[in-house]
Amino acid sequence: MTTATGGQRPWLPPPRLLDILMTWFSIGIQSFGGGSTTLYLIRQACITRGWLSEAEFAKDWALVQISPGINLVKITAVIGHQLRGWPGLLAAISGLLLPSATITVLMTAGFTIIRDWPFVKAAMRGVIPATIGISIGLGLQMAQAPLSRAWRAGRVSVVVQLALLAGSALLLAVAHASPVIVLALAGISGMLLLGDLPGAARRAVRWSLSRLVR
Amino acid sequence: MNPVDPMAPIGPLLYFWLFLKASLLSTGGLGNLPFLHQDLIARGWATEADFLVAMAVGQVSPGPNGLWTISLGYLTYGWLGAGLALIAITLPTLLALVIVALHRRVETHPLVQRFTLGITLGVIGLTLGVAWTLFSTTVTDWRGVMITLGALALALTKRVPIVLVLALAALAGWLLYGAPL
Repeated sequence: MTTATGGQRPWLPPPRLLDILMTWFSIGIQSFGGGSTTLYLIRQACITRGWLSEAEFAKDWALVQISPGINLVKITAVIGHQLRGWPGLLAAISGLLLPSATITVLMTAGFTIIRDWPFVKAAMRGVIPATIGISIGLGLQMAQAPLSRAWRAGRVSVVVQLALLAGSALLLAVAHASPVIVLALAGISGMLLLGDLPGAARRAVRWSLSRLVR
Repeated sequence: MNPVDPMAPIGPLLYFWLFLKASLLSTGGLGNLPFLHQDLIARGWATEADFLVAMAVGQVSPGPNGLWTISLGYLTYGWLGAGLALIAITLPTLLALVIVALHRRVETHPLVQRFTLGITLGVIGLTLGVAWTLFSTTVTDWRGVMITLGALALALTKRVPIVLVLALAALAGWLLYGAPL
């Protein structure tokens, strides 16, 4: 646990900066097709090299979820820093982002040249709805973990969580509320409503029943 | 919110700030989408099409999906936009180091856990809200609806690589819209 932030691992020599850079470089250019590929490659690289244990990796991954920014970039920064301090962080981030960002821009530029070809225009009319379908799928997949935990906790918390989720979506899509406000409201409602609701509801029902009976 | 002049030219500082703000206030690769969508569209600095193209490129190109932001930067403001977007998505990640250091002190507090869960649900809601907005403004006929549902189904299986889903969608688009009917 004490090795989780900063510093180097006591039982292994710290990796060379060039190794860190090249490792993330190869992750950055290999990971076509979305974030889960990238995460898979990062995990594999760190564990086979003995840089992190499975448990340390899982904890890092959980922690980066709650700070702002792109999760894969954050876990790269955290691991780079754990391995070699600030130079390690810089090596890991540059290795991950510089090649893949350059390729992204070149692909965008290439696309802006061919976007008016009739063939490309027709194909894009298929790709655009698909992008929307994929992002709905992403939202549903992200919802799976909290909702299945809620399912085990009881029906009331499923309803509350679905209401929070749908409320956020509607505030943005229908009321055009600012996303900051939506998230602040979601966090505060979470603190107020996501406690031991089933327990509280049961107690409330029992209390009112006892009143009725009496 | 402040009223904005929808025809003002792009100012680099404000442009950078909008990207940085979106990144600071969100988590995940597409978390900054609702912020950028609202701010850039309102100023007329990006079109719906820019967003859809950038998201498609971000899905296909190597690296984290969050690099769609760099594609959006390039589409709206050229190489300078791409560079500013790259800095804007990199800087906030340093806060993750602070969070990792701080988190151990508060991670077990129930209020912290509930707040985090509330935000997690809010982020998912925002993702779906943006998808709905894009859907209602760009999908105008049954063919688009079919392709959206097909891609959704394929994405939910988790077995089909996203690149393949997009390739199939391009093929479907060419067959449904390109071929003379």
